[in-house]
Amino acid sequence: MKGMKVKTDSPVTRKAREGVMEFLLVNHPLDCPICDQGGECDLQDQSMAFGSDRSRFTDNAFTGKRAVEDKNIGPLIKTIMTRCIHCTRCIRFASEVAGVDDLGTSGRGSDMQVGTYVEKMFKSELSGNVIDLCPVGALTSKPYAFTTRPWETRRIESIDVMDAVGSNIVVSMRTNEVMRILPRLNEDINEEWISDKSRFAYDGLKRQRLTTPFVRNNSGELVATDWETALFDIAQRVKDANPATIAGVAGGQADLEAMVCLKDMINRLGSEVLCTEEAFPMINSGTDFRSNYVMNTTIAGIEESDLVFLVGTNPRLEGSLVNARIRKSWVHNEMCVVLLGAPVDLSYDYQYLGDSFSVLKEIADGSHPIAKALADADKPMIILGSDAIQHNNGSLILDTVKRIAKNTKKSLNHPDWKVFNVLHRNASQVGALDMGYKPGMDSLKCDKPSLLFLLGADADKLNNDDLHGNAGVIYIGSHGDAGAQMADVVLPAAAYTEKDAMYVNTEGRAQVGRQAVSPPGMARHDWKIIRALSEILGVSLPYDKLSDVRGRLAEISPTFDRPGRVEETGFDNVSDDVTIDKITHTGATAPVVPALLKLRDFYMTDPISRSSLTMAKCVQAYDEAEANPYSKPEAI
Amino acid sequence: MATNTVLRLSGTFSQPLSCLFRHQWKVTVVPVQRTFSKKTNGTGPQKTSSALVPYRNQSTDVAPAPEKKPYSPFQGPFSSKAEYALTRLDDLLNWGRKSSMWPMTFGLACCAVEMMHFAGPRYDMDRFGVVFRASPRQSDVLIVAGTLTNKMAPALRKIYDQMPEPRWVISMGSCANGGGYYHYSYAVVRGCDRVVPVDIYVPGCPPTAEALLYGVLQLQKKVKRMNTLQMWYRK
Amino acid sequence: MSLFQKIGNIGKIFRQNGGLVGSYLKLFRTDDLKWGTLVGEDKYGNKYFQNDYYFMGRNRWVEYPLSVGHDYDASQVPPEWHRWLQYIADEPPSQLPLPKRKWMADHTENLSGTERCYVPYSTTRPKVEAWVPPKNNL
Repeated sequence: MKGMKVKTDSPVTRKAREGVMEFLLVNHPLDCPICDQGGECDLQDQSMAFGSDRSRFTDNAFTGKRAVEDKNIGPLIKTIMTRCIHCTRCIRFASEVAGVDDLGTSGRGSDMQVGTYVEKMFKSELSGNVIDLCPVGALTSKPYAFTTRPWETRRIESIDVMDAVGSNIVVSMRTNEVMRILPRLNEDINEEWISDKSRFAYDGLKRQRLTTPFVRNNSGELVATDWETALFDIAQRVKDANPATIAGVAGGQADLEAMVCLKDMINRLGSEVLCTEEAFPMINSGTDFRSNYVMNTTIAGIEESDLVFLVGTNPRLEGSLVNARIRKSWVHNEMCVVLLGAPVDLSYDYQYLGDSFSVLKEIADGSHPIAKALADADKPMIILGSDAIQHNNGSLILDTVKRIAKNTKKSLNHPDWKVFNVLHRNASQVGALDMGYKPGMDSLKCDKPSLLFLLGADADKLNNDDLHGNAGVIYIGSHGDAGAQMADVVLPAAAYTEKDAMYVNTEGRAQVGRQAVSPPGMARHDWKIIRALSEILGVSLPYDKLSDVRGRLAEISPTFDRPGRVEETGFDNVSDDVTIDKITHTGATAPVVPALLKLRDFYMTDPISRSSLTMAKCVQAYDEAEANPYSKPEAI
Repeated sequence: MATNTVLRLSGTFSQPLSCLFRHQWKVTVVPVQRTFSKKTNGTGPQKTSSALVPYRNQSTDVAPAPEKKPYSPFQGPFSSKAEYALTRLDDLLNWGRKSSMWPMTFGLACCAVEMMHFAGPRYDMDRFGVVFRASPRQSDVLIVAGTLTNKMAPALRKIYDQMPEPRWVISMGSCANGGGYYHYSYAVVRGCDRVVPVDIYVPGCPPTAEALLYGVLQLQKKVKRMNTLQMWYRK
Repeated sequence: MSLFQKIGNIGKIFRQNGGLVGSYLKLFRTDDLKWGTLVGEDKYGNKYFQNDYYFMGRNRWVEYPLSVGHDYDASQVPPEWHRWLQYIADEPPSQLPLPKRKWMADHTENLSGTERCYVPYSTTRPKVEAWVPPKNNL
């Protein structure tokens, strides 16, 4: 009302607020000393700010306060439902953001309960976010329970590497231990959410770690040794190897600094064989143009789009926050989603085109109705999953999708709108391609390397037949996984919470992660290991400080110099012209399906989450939930 | 005289009696359990198998024939005459250092009272050449006696930094060793070894003056092993 | 005490400590010269003396064996003799042996500064579980 005066601090308002607080606290237990929310509890803060300084609650009849049975909703979220104040934020998050109508209320008044109706697992890849949302201690983190208080921890802002989204995270650290991981607000990427893998896989940082260098002895066993021995052993292997066939492979979680050091070192040794574990078809202009392999429209750009065409991807599990963004648009912007791939549950409705390549070809030829829909759309997006183009037909799929994108663009009203997008799975992939790594290990397998450097490459895509007869394998990484097992020399490196490192996400956005804890035992920062090794190999790299390495990165690409920003990709028209119509359709192709289909597949995808007990418990809980006849059968 | 009381030949003999005659002069040999005899000796403790007195865990059993232990802990082999000379010089240097250890008093709490007792006539530290100096620049040893608080820690470090080399630190009492009773206090350093390098830890709350005396003697033992000149020569 | 007694005591001291040279060496080693009766000897070769002519606190003492040279140390006295030396008991263990229980560990001297010195170790679970490479899987 015009001219209305609102008094926010008058005695009456204060008294009214006190009254409201009293009502809230009548049925809220006073167990703050044993409550995990203590210190970051909204109710505590409100009570301190607005509440009364004493209680009028006298339970003369000893009836006790309201008590509610705790619910078991899986291995991630601990529920103490007596503390619930029925704000229903968790319910709203589940049904609006996560798109899982698992949570709801039953009962009325003081009998109201928040729960899952029948006891079952809260099956969502974003379930952990309800912990942050809950204003009281009703929903808390199960792995974090009773470990630390928020004021004891130091919070370090960092970047997540579990997927290629590059979610911004806060690492809570105490006594050189990662206590928990929380999301950090970044409206361009993850908003205020992170996926469960990002949030809960941190206990994998404490298991299966490489804490000392290993060298394989004559009887074929890896024996712990010191840095000097290991580095000189490598020097001997390098001396014996043919310099032109020394190869390097960057794994899914390698940081930019380590990759540039490895590349410079191997180049100085006289070899050009550097590749990433994840493949990307090198047809036509391949990775020469940046617009060919990044998400050109950016994640925030999804909100502008009115039609999203997903090809061979399951964004819900490959980039959970991209999926959350698509769902957001789907809910609020009347966006249409079309999916070609496996019929997975994406938490929103979509038009399903099957998984056959021939449909894709029809769209490219314009004979499919979707082709017209794409042409009519205002700002259409085509998101190609990186997983669908891993196999042999990848180049064909990529080529066809590029053709569809080009056709779509012809009738586009917005000349700056880029239609083609790639959703990667690995945090290192875009950075590696920017740097000039060759995608995929086909070229490496042709070369039969005589010495192989694995930079955290744990996808187990190589075997001994791919290598030269008695080729040595050197593994630089943080976890004892597939890579370390096949290696002859293992050098312990830092995981993502243990180093100042940069990563480029699927949008092509470079971001800086900060060191929260120190690497365990004798482990060192990846780039420093390679720097030290280069000195011993006689090809000293010209950088001694992290800033020097960052300077070198800036020389390679300006995108590396501007962390946090997305550089708009240029030449996309040129790249279209180079790319298109260079390949002909050869016979039948396999169905275009991604690897991650069910939520079960989501939990353990990389060395950290594979070492994580929490993630293992999630898989177990998922299996149990599947076996439970009373839980609703779901696609995810 | 003593043999009457302590030499006992009880128990059964596992060896033939002829051993008795052959080894009669060695009748009193018992197994020697101490193995700290000097490394260069090579033979180590006496052979236990030749013992005629069956092994008994009584400390009152008779000792082996005394074997003289030399004064110097450095008993060769020496690579050159120069090294031998420097070794002896080291001995002299160490003797000088250990025989006049001047502690800087750093009394922080109740331990300081025991430290004063150490200075008093009953324990009489002067007989070991230990004389308190109130100036860090003239002292060799820093005795941290008492609870080191966060507020005092910079002062302690400064005092330590002012002391000339070679310098040693004795941490006296539980609080200086590891925070002790006040370990969980927000105001206390959990052990003075977080601030200065400690040579000798004297346990106790507070340690008796005797314990501190023992600590000083241990430090003297440690000083006796210093090989300053030898290391200089080897470099 | 008459002067004669004092001179007599000096004579006893010199006699007991091995004449002039022996007394000098003893003084060099222990900074003290006394005479007394040998009360007992333990398995390490420590000799225990008593002479109530000296006042309490100095009337019982130990002489360490030559095998330890100048590196003698109060911790080389075993507990049963420590008992006597510190006036916890009146009778020395040579007269009144203490019962030997099977759980009693053998006495060791303070091993600080030697190879067998006690080194503190952590009993807490390590924060990071290290990877153990598989044995001979090739």
